[in-house]
Parts: sequence; C-alpha cells; structure tokens
Amino acid sequence: MNTEMLAQGILNGDYRAMARSISLIENSGYEVRKAIIKRIYGHGNAKVIGITGPPGVGKSTAIGNLAPLLADHGKVAVLAIDPASPFSGGAILGNRIRMQSALSRQGIYMRSTSNRLYNGGLSEYTWDIVKVLEAAGNDYIILETVGSGQADIDIMNIADVTCVFLAPGLGDEIQAIKSGIMEIGDIFVINKIDREGSYLAIKDIKESLSISNKLETPVIGVNSLTGDHYEELVQSILKMHNRNPREKYYKKLKLVVMEAIYHEYSNYVDSIEFGDKPLKEDPYTMAEEILARHVARPDGLKGREV
Amino acid sequence: MWGGRYSVSGKSQKYTEAPIKILLAKPAIDGHDRGIFVLAKAFRDAGMDVIYAGLLPTPEEVVDTAINEDVDVIALSLLNGAHMTAFRNVMEILKKRGVNDIAVVGGGIIPDEDKPALERMGITGNFGPGTPLNIIIDHIKARAREIRKLRENEY
Repeated sequence: MNTEMLAQGILNGDYRAMARSISLIENSGYEVRKAIIKRIYGHGNAKVIGITGPPGVGKSTAIGNLAPLLADHGKVAVLAIDPASPFSGGAILGNRIRMQSALSRQGIYMRSTSNRLYNGGLSEYTWDIVKVLEAAGNDYIILETVGSGQADIDIMNIADVTCVFLAPGLGDEIQAIKSGIMEIGDIFVINKIDREGSYLAIKDIKESLSISNKLETPVIGVNSLTGDHYEELVQSILKMHNRNPREKYYKKLKLVVMEAIYHEYSNYVDSIEFGDKPLKEDPYTMAEEILARHVARPDGLKGREV
Repeated sequence: MWGGRYSVSGKSQKYTEAPIKILLAKPAIDGHDRGIFVLAKAFRDAGMDVIYAGLLPTPEEVVDTAINEDVDVIALSLLNGAHMTAFRNVMEILKKRGVNDIAVVGGGIIPDEDKPALERMGITGNFGPGTPLNIIIDHIKARAREIRKLRENEY
C-alpha cells in the first residue's frame, strides 16, 4: 500500500487522498493506520468542535448552519458519526442529508462514518480521522457524535470545545443536574427555541450550571430553521481556548498501548489449542501465563519459562 | 461491547472484507423516495454502510459526495424517465474527475431498450420494480468486490 503518496495528498488537502486514507484507517487495521498517522502527525493545527446531544435534537441540521458561518473564519471540515446495526453491522449514514446543500455550496469536506458498534458516542478511529482532517489544513473540525445517551462522553477526550445540544421538553431540572453528558458541555445549545418550553429548558440548564459554579458556561438558544442566534454560537466557539491537549494525548496513547499489546499478544491467544472444551485454568491465570511467557523483560530475556 | 473492540486482531483485518460503502442517489428532479428507503434498509441489513443523498441532488453533488465519502458503489435510481440524461451526466462528471474506481449501478423505471446503452456507459444492474432484493444485493456485492480488488492493487 502506498501510504507515502496518500500522506502527501492529505498534506496537500486533496479530497480524494483524504477520503481514501480515512477508509484505510477504518478498514485496514493497525499497521496501515500507523503508517498513515506517522507520516501526517504534527501537521496542521485545528480546533475540534464536538457536537453532541440526544437523537433528534437537531445536531446535523445545526452543523448545516454552523459550518458555513465558521467557514468565514477558516477552513472547515465535518465528521459525523452514525450508529451501526447491532444485528447486521451495517449502518444508515443519514447526517449528510441535513447539511448537504449548505456544505456543497462552499466545498466543505464532509465525511460520515459508522461507529462500528463502538460505545461512547464515537467510533474507534475518530481520533485518527480527526488527525487526517487536521493535517489537511483545516482550521475547524466539526465532529458530530452518535445521538448520545447520558453516558456517551468520549467526545470530551477528542474535542477542544464540546457543544451539548438539547431541545425543549427533554426533561426537568432533575435531568439538568444529572451527571454524564450534562457535565461535559463547554457550551450548551438549546435548539428549536421557537417551541414551547424553551425558556424553561434554558432556565433549568442555567440553574444547574449555577449550582456547580460554572455560570460562565454559555447557554445559547438557537433556531435552526431561521438561523437565529447562530452568530452568538460561533463567537462563543471562537472565544473558547483549546483545553487539555496533554490529557487528550494521554488518553489516546493509552488506547494505542492497549491496542498494540492486543495486536502483539492476540496471536498467542489464537495459537492456544482449545480442543472442543474450554481450558482447565481460569482466564485470569491463563492471561498472566501468556504475558509472563512472552513479555520482553528489561534484562533482554523473553519472559520466564513456565 | 463483547466482540466489539477486540474481536478481530488488528493484523487480520482486511480492506477487501470491510463493510461495503454505498451511496444511494436520485440525481436531478425526482421526488419518489419510498423505494429508495426500502433499498437503504435492505442494504443496511446486508451489512453495508449506506448513505442516502437526499432528494434532488445535482449530478455534481452526487459525485462530490461519492468522492468525499470514498464509497465503493453509487446506486442511481430514477422513476421519471430522465435516466438517460441524468445517469449520463453522473458518468461524465466521474470521468472528468478521473474517478475510475467507483462502481455505478442503476435502477428505477428503465425500459429494456435503454439498458444496453446504460451498460455501455458502465452502469450495470438497471433493475426494475419487483426485482427481489437479494438479486440486487448480490449484484452490488459482486461489483463492490471488483472495486476493492482494483483499489488494493492501486495502493
């Protein structure tokens, strides 16, 4: 595989090279992914804007409004993630429909991916795909999560600014003070403010922020049909500083270490002769045995003999 | 969670075996989308990543989307009789952009006498109403396999 050529294409901002690289990252496994990331890492400097919230609050539609406005301030790319089917593994990637016309008018790169059954609101390789978009010279990367539940908070490990989207009528003040997604927002956006109850929704969020001493967190009501108050949202996003780059690097490093270990040692697991019965030893003992036998030790010896 | 993250070893994962990515589009003027939803769902159930381009995309938008999403197959559908023009436009734009590694299949209300001409443009399938879903799915899988092979040699 000619990853050299692809990497050069990414750095030149070539859409076809970006698109193919992203496919390879998703589909080709550890080695190819490593080869691509190694060549493009450190290029570009983007602000990653995470858009999260429950299904149906209007995340995709909002991006259709937000992306063109952000494009006045720099180059924009969009990455949207939709859930895969737990039965077939297939997916309907429907985010694009809501933003198609707005994006194609301005030539904004947009990619939809399936989460491939990965939990947490993102896909397993979202970090890598974001790096591709960053290296391609984008200043702003809008990252839309799967319609999220209360615990889908992976976005905070990748996004520089997390916008939590909500709509009127989703719950009362008890919902607003719950943990999980309600804690990770750098900006709260109440969509569909033309609907009944929008005042209460904004009030509930503000009160809960006031309880946790985060009153400076912006709470913005927007109307995606008319585009009302989107400029305010853009200004809030631009004002935010990129937080915790070290922490984000650390989290990804940890995942890669785990994957690398797995990549290395799954071969040993595969090579165990199982016969038609499970092993006599419990899985914990067995796992330690595999590690003890194969882990390289500082004195240069390959593990202890068992 | 079980079987998600670490079910496949990194090394054994193969590009040629990854889920097929398919773009469903009705280029130009056609508002009939019941059939394409049925197809979208059937393709999802066959394990594909399905993108539907929405109503009324221009042929340019269809090609742009296909390139940005790096799809394996574009499935074009028209029920209004404009297929000879609209499908040809899509093929011409693909050619102009130098894209030769995306398969294009067609369907809709397509008279038999138009099918050879569409085949010559490179649009295969051209299924009409009432075609069993498994025939369509098998055809798409076969075309996608060719494409993945082609791409694998390229890189």
